[in-house]
Amino acid sequence: MKIFRMADPLTTRLKHIIVDTLRLEGVKPEEIKDDEPLIGTGLALDSIDALELVVKLEKEFGIKIGSSEESKQALSSVAGLAAFIRQRADASKLPV
Amino acid sequence: MPRLADPNPIKVADCGCITPFGGAGATLAALLRGERALQPVPVGGIAGGDLVPLALLPGRDIDETALPSWGPAMKRLLAKHIGPQWGTAKRPVFFTSSNFGVGHLHAYGRTRDEKHLTFGSPYGCVDWLRRELGWGENFAIFSHACVSAHLGLVHASRVVSAGLADEALVVTFDFISPFVSGGFHALKILNADFPAPYMNRATGSIGLGDGAAYAVLKRDGDGFKILGQNLHNEMYHFTANQPDGLGFTACLAPLMEKTKGLRLWVKGHGTGTLDAGRMESTRMAEIFPSSPLTGWKGSLGHTLGSCGLVELAIAIEAIRAGRTPGTVGSSAPAFTPNVALEPFSNREFNAVLCASNAFGGAHAALLLAHD
Repeated sequence: MKIFRMADPLTTRLKHIIVDTLRLEGVKPEEIKDDEPLIGTGLALDSIDALELVVKLEKEFGIKIGSSEESKQALSSVAGLAAFIRQRADASKLPV
Repeated sequence: MPRLADPNPIKVADCGCITPFGGAGATLAALLRGERALQPVPVGGIAGGDLVPLALLPGRDIDETALPSWGPAMKRLLAKHIGPQWGTAKRPVFFTSSNFGVGHLHAYGRTRDEKHLTFGSPYGCVDWLRRELGWGENFAIFSHACVSAHLGLVHASRVVSAGLADEALVVTFDFISPFVSGGFHALKILNADFPAPYMNRATGSIGLGDGAAYAVLKRDGDGFKILGQNLHNEMYHFTANQPDGLGFTACLAPLMEKTKGLRLWVKGHGTGTLDAGRMESTRMAEIFPSSPLTGWKGSLGHTLGSCGLVELAIAIEAIRAGRTPGTVGSSAPAFTPNVALEPFSNREFNAVLCASNAFGGAHAALLLAHD
């Protein structure tokens, strides 16, 4: 029997935010792997991308990212970002 | 390109600055006492927001809806140079800033109030200022992020050195606006913590400060001799330094011959960010292992494009006083042992290296003799 795992709504939403906010050409949200590094290697986002993303994430999920080091940690990967947001966001802000 | 072989080096004949502590003398005294000008201020000024460390001139709100509140401060700073003697062909003025009146451009964008247009462009802002100071139209404007003042000093030195001008006045100014503080806050390097330059800690942070300064450069007569200057751009990334820190070394390379035999102290850039601070102190420790490294942005905040000249004015006061402030705002452990956390006597030294760096891997260095 084949088991279909439901995609996590938060990671799906984050992948869409990354592609839409940064207007990534030729990248589909579903192509971004959960554990793929976002900064430097992997998607190779830079500090200006990080700035745009952080502004969007703070607004959408009502979270605060306190420092550039915390920002780097949060943006380690989509999975890391989802965990970071779950720890800090009000549950009402999370997609279901 | 550096000009190192000039037998008659350019001299800083007069120099001054203004910070929240006052002029260069008052600022030096406050730094020697370890005082911090930075205070927690809402990032949006009168519009509110998270508290971040800002060092504003006394009585100045960051209010982009008002006309420039820094005009009187510039007049006080330049009081003895007001008049038509500057801005002529033989006595040109070199203006530098990283922000000019960008807050007014932002304000115009939001309010469409035309009173902001005068100050919303570098030319408009500078032209207004030089008219207020009674100066002529022979001026130039330079800007390259946080090495802007150094860029103005290099160009002014070359003009004077080439005999194209009798003397030159370099003027630099950067005053915080909500647009600027909001931008650094969005990058998360301006956050709730006070900066601790060169301190080995878990989280970095900077502060921002109001600052302006001037220097009169001459070829003849008395003054502090500029032994060499250089600018270098890594061309690695549009915000970050190349990770090996070799940009710091490359900027100093053309000056190394000139430093032979000198007993140097180093006034570094040291904003309080971790990566750049570690790279700078590590490279300085490699190149000048017996030279104390100090930085003052833990007290004054980062005065952005003006920092190179604001801090040069303070360094000159420190030479006159024989005592150099330590790295205010920092404590052990520092990244490297060359970091001077406490004030020290500079009487055993005969030169200071003033270094700055900027977004995009831009570096600048100025070597100044004590006498």
